[in-house]
Amino acid sequence: MVRQKLLVINPEGLHLRPAGIFAQEMDRFECEIFIQHQGSKVNAKSLLSILTACIKCGSEINIECDGIDELDAMNRAIELINSGFEGL
Amino acid sequence: MIKGTGASGGIGIGTVKVIKVQKPVFERRRIREPEKELDKLKKAISGFTAETEKLAAKVEKEAGKKEAEILRGHLLILRDPVLTAEIEKLIRGGECAEAAVEQICNMFISVFSARDDELTKQRAADMEDLKSRLIHHLLGLDVIKLSPLPPGTVICARELTPSMTAGMDKKNVAGFITEKGGETSHCAIIARALEIPAVLGAEGIMSAVKDGQRVILNGDSGEVILSPKAETLRRYVLEKENYDQRKELLKNYRGKETLTADGDRLSVLCNIGNSDDADKVIAGDGEGIGLFRTEFMFMDRDTAPDEQEQFEVYREAALKMAGKPVVIRTLDIGGDKDVSYLEINEEENPFLGQRAIRYCMAHPDILHQQLRAILRASAYGNIKILIPMIADMTELRFVKKMTEKIKKELSEDDIPFDEHIKTGVMIETPSACMIADLLADEADFFSIGTNDLIQYMMAADRGNSDVSYLYSVFKPSVLRAIQHTIQCAVDKGITVEMCGEAAANKLITPLLISFGLEKFSVSPSSVLNIRKEISRYTKPEADKITARVMKMSTAEEIKKYLTRKTGTKE
Repeated sequence: MVRQKLLVINPEGLHLRPAGIFAQEMDRFECEIFIQHQGSKVNAKSLLSILTACIKCGSEINIECDGIDELDAMNRAIELINSGFEGL
Repeated sequence: MIKGTGASGGIGIGTVKVIKVQKPVFERRRIREPEKELDKLKKAISGFTAETEKLAAKVEKEAGKKEAEILRGHLLILRDPVLTAEIEKLIRGGECAEAAVEQICNMFISVFSARDDELTKQRAADMEDLKSRLIHHLLGLDVIKLSPLPPGTVICARELTPSMTAGMDKKNVAGFITEKGGETSHCAIIARALEIPAVLGAEGIMSAVKDGQRVILNGDSGEVILSPKAETLRRYVLEKENYDQRKELLKNYRGKETLTADGDRLSVLCNIGNSDDADKVIAGDGEGIGLFRTEFMFMDRDTAPDEQEQFEVYREAALKMAGKPVVIRTLDIGGDKDVSYLEINEEENPFLGQRAIRYCMAHPDILHQQLRAILRASAYGNIKILIPMIADMTELRFVKKMTEKIKKELSEDDIPFDEHIKTGVMIETPSACMIADLLADEADFFSIGTNDLIQYMMAADRGNSDVSYLYSVFKPSVLRAIQHTIQCAVDKGITVEMCGEAAANKLITPLLISFGLEKFSVSPSSVLNIRKEISRYTKPEADKITARVMKMSTAEEIKKYLTRKTGTKE
């Protein structure tokens, strides 16, 4: 299992569009992926689950990937969050 | 008169069309062939998808890509594997498709509604919309079929869903009024994008209006006038014309640089009180945050926000501003701003007592915590420190010394921060004004706080109506103080901004340009107004007006001259 702490930098936070993009991208991977934020742990492949976590701009989140392609998944997650979903 | 939230500016005058949503009625039944039911769900989803894509394309054409995203969001939601898996599970358990969709959507609706976060709450409205449309598709009913609207229609509804507004012929819509929803709801976003006035959250509107009734709505104040009298109507028709003209003009200043008529580059920033206001700065086209009043974060609560909480708030603002300046003013309490848990001593003369930096120097732990939070946040954007109520050089030195100490602590702990963070002082006491040349040697920038500067210059309590004749920015002494301060900053080559109400006073814009003010910090809704006002003057014109004004001896004379000369109002 791999874990990484990240900072959400896009102004709208992980809301509808960014969360949707993130969930769809994560769904391409085999491994299980979770987002932890302020005591809640949600399925990163589900847009609705991500929305329930209320992740704002400036929120710190922990991404957890567990499975065969966990490293690839983590790299993609880091890339997406750090890009601020610009140009996607 | 009914009042709601003004969610999209402008005056709307027209004829009411009440829109009632038909809740889909279905019979909940147990099913024996889940495969057939799943097939039905699949068909409904593809029908829903096709319809949504069509609506989104329409919205994109009418209002823009961003506005269409909400509808496209419905497609993203529907593609959520968790949602479909849960619905399918219920169907396999013998539930009919309609009931399965309803139950699962309701589950998310209740989760979203229970959240504290405004944006998350709105997702509940999206789920409602999605649920209702999907059930319509399952039942094979037409979802939205609005009869064509005549020009000048004011739509009244309990709530407007994204799909409802998308289906409307919006050229003919003169306004929106709803019982539910607020400034950030979908309807508000669409209304603003299309520049249709909207009043949302107008309680009681649905029982008060009927089709065909004449109505006026004010999308700024939130007022709704039903069946107005002829005189009122005339007044509003005129006001609407004015508003529309002004708006057209201001549009030319959105997204533009702030330039004087002869091309000097100035800037218009915004005053805010919390990190959520940063969104308003972006919406208002501000060039950064010129004043972040941190005391609001300390008010209306029982304990002080700790370093981490403050850090997160400052960081959020810095991130949202994405490299544009964020000037954070340290705690300005005392005076008229009392905070119960901070144990502010009762004083005979609180405005001359231990307020702002004076309080912070007496309680260095509070200042230390705040400066540390600001410094930590400075790693995430363009943050500057601003110290309020400076009267003496020792105060600036105290803060700078503490800042250096914190920098060292942070370096030792490997915590990132902006090593070149700038520290500025508020010029709002006569003393600071008199030693502005000395302060300019040690401060990185000035920010003139005219509200307090007037009060302290004139020795007149701004809340006391008996001495209100003294409280005016047009007093020659006040104008000289402002001129002197700006001159000292210009001479020493440091930046000077103004964050008091005077910065947004169009009568003195030419004076400020002539004095050499670089940054105007105003409320987000005034940015375009001031940018436009600045563009009216060349430096020589502003100098000419100023030369005249600075020879005048009373505020009345000055105000009268400026009113005539500028052709504007305060």
